[in-house]
Amino acid sequence: MSALLEVRDLRLQFGGVTAVDGLSFEVREGEILAVIGPNGAGKTSAFNCISGFYLPTAGAVVFDGKAIVRAVPELWRRLGLVNLLQSFGLYRVLPSRVTKWGMARTFQNLRLFRELSVLENVTTAMHANLREGFWATLLHTPGYRRAEAACVREARGWLDFVGFEDDEQLYVTQLPYGEQRRVEIARALATSPKLLLLDEPAAGLNFNEKQALMRLIRKIRGLGVAVVLIEHDMGLVMELAERIVVLNYGKEIADGAPEVVKRDPAVIEAYLGVDESEDA
Amino acid sequence: MRDLDLALKHVPLRAPAPLFERPQPPKGVFTSQRGFMRALGLLAVLLVAVLPFMDASRYTMSIATSALIYVMLCMGLNVVVGYAGLLDLGYIAFFAVGAYVSGIFTTVLGWPMWAALIATIIACITAGIIIGAPTLRLRSDYLAIVTLGFGEIIRITANNLKITGGPSGIHGIPSWSFGPWSFDDGFSLLGIDFPERVVFYYFVALVVIVVGVIGAGRLAKGRLGRAWKAVRDDEDAAEAMGINTYIAKISAYIIGAVWAGMAGQLMATHLSAISPNSFQFLYSALILMAVVLGGMGSTPGVIIGALFVSLAPELLRDFAEWRYLIFGVLLVVVMLFRPSGLWPATAVLPWLRRSRPTPPAFTEATAVPASIMESVDGTPTTDAHEGDRA
Repeated sequence: MSALLEVRDLRLQFGGVTAVDGLSFEVREGEILAVIGPNGAGKTSAFNCISGFYLPTAGAVVFDGKAIVRAVPELWRRLGLVNLLQSFGLYRVLPSRVTKWGMARTFQNLRLFRELSVLENVTTAMHANLREGFWATLLHTPGYRRAEAACVREARGWLDFVGFEDDEQLYVTQLPYGEQRRVEIARALATSPKLLLLDEPAAGLNFNEKQALMRLIRKIRGLGVAVVLIEHDMGLVMELAERIVVLNYGKEIADGAPEVVKRDPAVIEAYLGVDESEDA
Repeated sequence: MRDLDLALKHVPLRAPAPLFERPQPPKGVFTSQRGFMRALGLLAVLLVAVLPFMDASRYTMSIATSALIYVMLCMGLNVVVGYAGLLDLGYIAFFAVGAYVSGIFTTVLGWPMWAALIATIIACITAGIIIGAPTLRLRSDYLAIVTLGFGEIIRITANNLKITGGPSGIHGIPSWSFGPWSFDDGFSLLGIDFPERVVFYYFVALVVIVVGVIGAGRLAKGRLGRAWKAVRDDEDAAEAMGINTYIAKISAYIIGAVWAGMAGQLMATHLSAISPNSFQFLYSALILMAVVLGGMGSTPGVIIGALFVSLAPELLRDFAEWRYLIFGVLLVVVMLFRPSGLWPATAVLPWLRRSRPTPPAFTEATAVPASIMESVDGTPTTDAHEGDRA
């Protein structure tokens, strides 16, 4: 299987703090990969680099054969204009572009559009897949009506797929937490991704909801979408993931099948610490 | 169904078909929000159109026309502030650009009005890009400061340039004319004489405002409008959903600028004279207040807000010196009792409100025994209902 996402020597520094320190891994097409690590290990920072939100200090991220990290000419670096240029979208790949290439993500702390209905939240994510011109929207041409109808049907398809059974016209703030998580996944799927990044999808879910989430993630993989998830729930990770990457202090300390990673001494040390009495 | 597929771009992953057909939403005037709003809009337009036949005095017409111009301005600002969530404190600058460009092109250069209209639109698009581009990376407070500065720059420039007539402004802006007949000639309809050009402009303003209100409403419902609202609610999430937030924001600025420019042109031709005093910061604040007061992002709310802000000082004229004090107190009272506006964007007509079923309470019966927690097998299935809540 070919690599869908390739991360090489990814390094991210905030001033003196190194959040990600030489991370390398790859995601193959249609697999479920879990990224785990103690709090502050740099998992979310790595996600933000991969999806184009943060600009890594060094390293390469290649998604589907396209480079997400762009080289900046040395001249701009010398003049100190890098941040300015990048804030205007130059010498970087904007997250919206990464999404168009086929990488969708969810956020650790639910970030749904709070003043939009459930259905609108999902149709909003269809943005890049929709043919709707300015004049067509103003004049309500038949093409516009068709596009809107297709968009709504597609969104309902995704809502049904994730098992959302509530009223689609409700505002997302009116939903219980578990349902909001579902809507967020439906919204990410509506961008028609090849790779789905889930940042702690099980956080705050109860046992039943976690079970449903696991089935849903397998169903998503069944569509041929690769899933990368950051998760703290080890039971869920061990059962779901085909491969696990373990981070600690921004460095990768293990990469392999769940059974292998579980017994890796470095991983055990990272999570539980070294037993000093035994060493003595 | 195939038609619908063609309406979407080719994407690698398509949603499975919905599991069930949703019932068609009701379309009646009293059974659907949309039907009711349309009927209400039609009624409002009819009422406004009938007004000159009741009272075509110069005073009433001029107040009513400026109220309509306020509605247009507020609809434009609503795109920027209400939909895209970009706080703009210098919005009157676009109004000034519209008024001055049409004034200069018709008086100094002697262009016909329709050509000046096209020039106005182009100038406003340019102004929207000029103010929009540098502010793209700013958020909230900083954005407000920059737009405030931009508003003042335009006013002070107009005050000091020769071509804009300096502090005294531009006079003698001609009316629209079609061949030998111009709006100045007056006309008579249904036995009533409409001698003043103000009456024409009242109707012209009405038509422009109807187009402006419907147009802004339609844009807000489409792909672009959803992008605006997404940017307003959560910029990063919008970006993650494939929305280029730069384009979304700058398009909101451009639409807002064009709407304000059209209002500016209407005002310039309606009053036939403009001066920098009409474009003070006070007016930016008033328009913003109208939008916030009415309800950000809500078409009926913004119209009500615009009418309130433009008509209240006139209706309170009897109170002479006190009127702005009373106006201010009224505003405070309204904001205290309706903090999200007179008619919020999320408002649902009272008789259409749905009761929300409360989720089942957590009881011993629904609790999961600890023994099950240990022995869960998550065998993959392809059953369509598998993702459902267990």
